[in-house]
Amino acid sequence: MSASLAPECNEVKERYDTCFLKWYSEKYLRGAEKDNKECAGLFNEYQKCLSVALKNRGIDKLLDEAREDNKENDSSNVWLDLLAAEKGMPADALACGEA
Amino acid sequence: MVLTHSTNHTYSHPFPTVTLAYFLRYSSPQLNPFAAHVLSTDTISSHVDPETQRLYTTRIHLKKSRMPSAVYKLLPASVSGGNSGEKASYILETSVVDIKEGWMKTESRNLNFTGVLSVVEKQHFKVPSSLEAVARNETDVNSSVSFKSRLGEKIRGKIGQAQESSGWLPGFLGGLGAKGIQRSIESLASTKTIDQLSKSRDGMRLVLERLRNGGVIGVMEKLRQERQRQAVAM
Repeated sequence: MSASLAPECNEVKERYDTCFLKWYSEKYLRGAEKDNKECAGLFNEYQKCLSVALKNRGIDKLLDEAREDNKENDSSNVWLDLLAAEKGMPADALACGEA
Repeated sequence: MVLTHSTNHTYSHPFPTVTLAYFLRYSSPQLNPFAAHVLSTDTISSHVDPETQRLYTTRIHLKKSRMPSAVYKLLPASVSGGNSGEKASYILETSVVDIKEGWMKTESRNLNFTGVLSVVEKQHFKVPSSLEAVARNETDVNSSVSFKSRLGEKIRGKIGQAQESSGWLPGFLGGLGAKGIQRSIESLASTKTIDQLSKSRDGMRLVLERLRNGGVIGVMEKLRQERQRQAVAM
């Protein structure tokens, strides 16, 4: 499996990736058991490790800037979907609101 | 101006396998030798919308910079990071899969160097509309890549990263014209990237072949063995 950008997170990242791929191929793609809660514990552990690295490398700031630029410059569907998902509302409502 | 390039392609693999290959495409250079430039891959969010059952995933990839050397040559070291500076780009990848409706939309964009050049790649994978194509287990994909240089423009209220560290920019852009430099960067980058798009498709095809031959379990087992070899070697 590919490495994490933070070597100290490699081990938990690999365990999470393996869990995700197993869930995705055996459950999600087969239309069974939609939520990926079975990987949630590993995911949280992974994020705890990764968030430190994202902050230390300034990537959290780059992410904020990308979100901001995106609001200003472009109306990409994936982004609207993502923002909407974060806010728990339909993407269409968000698209209208920002137009 | 934004330079955009768009293509259509058909994979001879069923839609679910293509989406799996998308997630696996940077897993290892053994699985996909065309991904040797990918240094790391991390997931920062992943969740299923309880109503639509769509899977939303956000990942960050670190890639050895593929900004063409001609672009570096156009820029002073204070902007490009110079020869010894950071030449890797962080790429933000967002994706949505709707397995019920049979589509996946993805978007990748660079997170650093955006003051020089923004590259946004979008892909829309879908189950084909013709029944014959569905019966042949095909998946259609439309890809578009857009290039936009904002060198010397105001970004978020400040002038792009270029100007802050040195005084060269006003004279440099004044002489050649900011728009002219931006156009040159966009066209250099697009020529280079279009060459790379076919490599990225070759990579997807290789991962798909390996999934066809070994299944996801086989592929994961290979990845596990590779990790063990690396651990022993270290």
